[in-house]
Amino acid sequence: MGWAWLILLLATYPWLLGADLAGDTLASSSLVVFVSGTCLIAPSRRLKRWQCVLFAAGLGFLFEARRPIPDGTLALTLVAVAIFLSSNRPLLRSTPRMLQGAAVVNVGACLVWYLAAAFASDAPSDGAAGHLFGQLLLAGVVGTLGLVPVALTQNAVMDRLGLPPAPDVP
Amino acid sequence: MDQNRQGARASYVALSVFVAGWILLPSAVRRLNREAFVEFQAPALHLVGKSRDLATFWEKKSRGSEELVAAGRDLARINAALELKLKGMEDVRRENTRLREVTRYNVPAEYLSVVARVATRDSSSWWQRIVIRKGRNDGIRPGAPVVFGDTVVGRVTAVHLTTSEVDLVTSPGFRCTAYLEGDDQNRIVLINGVAANSLGTAKARVCVIPYDYLLPAGTPARVTTTGMGGVFPSGLTLGYLDGGAYATQVGNFKESLLVPSRDLYNLQEVSVLVPIIQTPGEALMQGDQFQ
Repeated sequence: MGWAWLILLLATYPWLLGADLAGDTLASSSLVVFVSGTCLIAPSRRLKRWQCVLFAAGLGFLFEARRPIPDGTLALTLVAVAIFLSSNRPLLRSTPRMLQGAAVVNVGACLVWYLAAAFASDAPSDGAAGHLFGQLLLAGVVGTLGLVPVALTQNAVMDRLGLPPAPDVP
Repeated sequence: MDQNRQGARASYVALSVFVAGWILLPSAVRRLNREAFVEFQAPALHLVGKSRDLATFWEKKSRGSEELVAAGRDLARINAALELKLKGMEDVRRENTRLREVTRYNVPAEYLSVVARVATRDSSSWWQRIVIRKGRNDGIRPGAPVVFGDTVVGRVTAVHLTTSEVDLVTSPGFRCTAYLEGDDQNRIVLINGVAANSLGTAKARVCVIPYDYLLPAGTPARVTTTGMGGVFPSGLTLGYLDGGAYATQVGNFKESLLVPSRDLYNLQEVSVLVPIIQTPGEALMQGDQFQ
């Protein structure tokens, strides 16, 4: 189904909005609740490569839209990750592997947007290392904990769309 | 397997070509793309904001009638006191107008106040922003100052159809000039937002504090807008100096930190002061509104 990626993006959006609302409550601590990387894991196992690329681009652009991050930085990073994951599906063959993948992709993508935003900002970065560590830690924890509910939602939608199930063994 | 590898390689090549094309694309295309994704999210933000308002409404509706009567009585007293003050202000306004006519003083910019509810707050090291539920359709323009009472909240940086983004006073992109309380010579200092690299309250930096400036004893020094530059009206509170002022490396001036006078992340409603006549600063902002 050609539009599966768009339907899946719409189905994933409530999780992105939920993360934004969680970020709203954490606003005074200057931390962002980031889950876009995690949202990419389950679709990478089942969507076709081109669908996965469009889904990843949508995820990235949705995060960037309201934030002063250079255009396309996160979206293109997620697209590269989507190409890699959809070409190496055995890497995500089991739940523990998916959890590892979610943590790594979420932390990596978080690092990319953080550095891109730092590059775009003209403010001095004194003491940013500690805060970056906190932000990456939060992204890792949220990415790992958020994978199961996000993947359950996405798998339910993909089942309804009639997409072939992901192979559990390589 | 070989086909899979070839497909992956072709995808990486296509991505590289796309990245090159993306960099070379006119910025208008990238802005259009960004605007499309913002507008896609706008209805959800409105829905979230309205749900919060509804929850507040029901919470208030559940209060007892005695509590409401007491609140009404208090409001009536405050109204009576304000009416007295208003009459006094009318005399001051007439005197002010007369003096301006005598001295041929330039009339300061007049503003149209647009009240807006806060939809969400978003904060990181590199930005501190709120999204308000009013936009281009409500007459909001980029660069307009945003206040709550007599306190500066920030400045509108991007305007969309039904929402706008506001950079807070503490955000790294925020700049303005200010006066310090207790400085009889009214020397100008600069306010810059700084990257928030701690989990505590975000603060701004106050630069170019004259070396002989002494903090008023007992109370924290209030920092107010100058009205220069045509963005903010004069006399609005930006915040208070945090503790003491320390000398810069050069030693000619001192620096300090500015603590906002309100918790900017707990505001439910703000006022956007839209200049009735477009200011030159605003015109400059328009090319920059999607950053």
